[in-house]
Amino acid sequence: MQKTKMKEKFSLKKELKHAPGYLIVGLWVIFTFVLIGWIILASFSTTREIFDGTLFKFATGLHFENYVKAWTTHKVSSYFMNSLLYTLVSCTMVILIAAPAAYVLSRFKFRGNGLVQNLFATALGIPAIMIIMPLFALVTQAHLNQSKGLIIFLYIAMNVPFTIFFLSTFFHNLSTTFEEAAAIDGCSPMKTFWRIMLPLAQPGIITVTIFNFITIWNEYFISLIFANTAKNRPIAVGLYSMIQSMRYTGDWGGMFAAVVIVFLPTFVLYIFLSEKIIASVTGGAIKG
Amino acid sequence: MKTTKNKAMIILFLAPALILYLFVFLYPTTRTFIMSFFKVEGVTDALSSWKFDGFDNFKTLFGTPLFVSAMKNIGLIWLVGGISVLLISLLFGVILTSGVLGKSFLRSVIYLPNVISAVAMGTMWINYVYNPDFGLFNSFLKLIGQDGLAKTQWTGPELVFWSMLIAYCFGMVGYHMLIWMSGIERIPVDFFEAAKLEGANSFQRFSKITLPLLKGVCRTNIVLWTVSTMSFFVWSQLFSPVNLSENTVTPMSYMYELVFGASSSALTARNSGAGAAIGVILVIIVVVVFTLTQRIVRHDDVEL
Repeated sequence: MQKTKMKEKFSLKKELKHAPGYLIVGLWVIFTFVLIGWIILASFSTTREIFDGTLFKFATGLHFENYVKAWTTHKVSSYFMNSLLYTLVSCTMVILIAAPAAYVLSRFKFRGNGLVQNLFATALGIPAIMIIMPLFALVTQAHLNQSKGLIIFLYIAMNVPFTIFFLSTFFHNLSTTFEEAAAIDGCSPMKTFWRIMLPLAQPGIITVTIFNFITIWNEYFISLIFANTAKNRPIAVGLYSMIQSMRYTGDWGGMFAAVVIVFLPTFVLYIFLSEKIIASVTGGAIKG
Repeated sequence: MKTTKNKAMIILFLAPALILYLFVFLYPTTRTFIMSFFKVEGVTDALSSWKFDGFDNFKTLFGTPLFVSAMKNIGLIWLVGGISVLLISLLFGVILTSGVLGKSFLRSVIYLPNVISAVAMGTMWINYVYNPDFGLFNSFLKLIGQDGLAKTQWTGPELVFWSMLIAYCFGMVGYHMLIWMSGIERIPVDFFEAAKLEGANSFQRFSKITLPLLKGVCRTNIVLWTVSTMSFFVWSQLFSPVNLSENTVTPMSYMYELVFGASSSALTARNSGAGAAIGVILVIIVVVVFTLTQRIVRHDDVEL
């Protein structure tokens, strides 16, 4: 069915009508490819070849040492591991906190339900600038500043509202028959949630987690303020400080290698899961 | 019996999220709001050292040339960038929903910059696209014989603002395109078919059906654009890494300087009260845009 429809669609006359559209979108797409492709090529090249414009020839071979240098001497490995730790722990905790809340908000009628939902919705529009100063004062007083636990805590707290918002819609669309059946069998509501509803919400949980992963991996401002020490820096802040030094030392190959290391995890994730990621963007924005 | 059981569950399930919310959103926002009306030097200063000074922080800010530049810049980013991004993304959304081949592939590529760290994207733009020696723009200009233009200093003081804006907008187009597309795809196909039977051409179908039905999505796009541009920070730092410059300064980067005093030159004295006032100004802008756009949509009786 789908195939015949496609065949029916493909006629030169029809495609010609789309020509201006193809041209505009095509140019944009080509530019994106050139941009990223060039960076990847340059990351295997030398500074001299980049400046001579001969990096496509790879006359001196592929320079994997750019990556080795960035990974070890510029401590990208440490930033990378920090980011991995922050992202994995936060993503898991966000779900453990947001999923129960989203379930209760979408399933139970109680006084204050609407208010609580609105509270979480407002958090989506509060700029980071409104929350960092008191938090900074608080954690400095408590001597918690610049620690790994603090930044993980902040990432969890900051991603819970969006996740609740996203999962509420998801739970809302699940049929109540599962809970009714479970109640007849004598399963308590709480047990029903953990045993039945949470597994049923898996597709939504996976989608929102991929989205949270990308957000936290790329987060910059909060970690610049709360995790900006050589030991705790995540990869985005690490890359920034590294670029500043590499530009002065003139190691361009190494700099582009560092850029590739930074975007590779989310890029690979995106190549395999772009449909899910795109679904989470539209799913989250429609009501916003 | 059952309700009490549910009550315990509701409290238990909501408590962690609510506690986090109170601690990380409600308390800080309230305190920042109050702080904006006090004279506070260091961000960690004790409450007892705060001195009430009414609207002085706001007055000081608007009397500081660098902050005025920051507001001008964010205004231009919001307006010029906003119009360009929303129009280009709408155009892309319309093209991609018009039955082109490879729709999901094209959509994925256009959205791609959004999944890459802004620091990485910015580095690519600054050190490759805008590079005066081997950069993409100047190489291309040389290729088409514009040798004079090929010497353009894209990140020089005259052009740096626009270069920064272009690089920023390039990434945002994909995000807003997805939102337009989700709106366009919710319009029932019969509308278009009926119009086609009546002899409407594709431009008429777009202006008479698509556009009016996209009012709600348009509002979402404007609100989301406002929320994201008000936090404009990384790009400003990437394009002026050492000191704040009036070409690229934004309220956020100015606040960072005021409160955390990062850059080496003491361009600004520590003033956390004024930093808080900047936050309040940004929130007010978001709220005003939110309310104004809501009114536009309320007059609209079509709901999809």
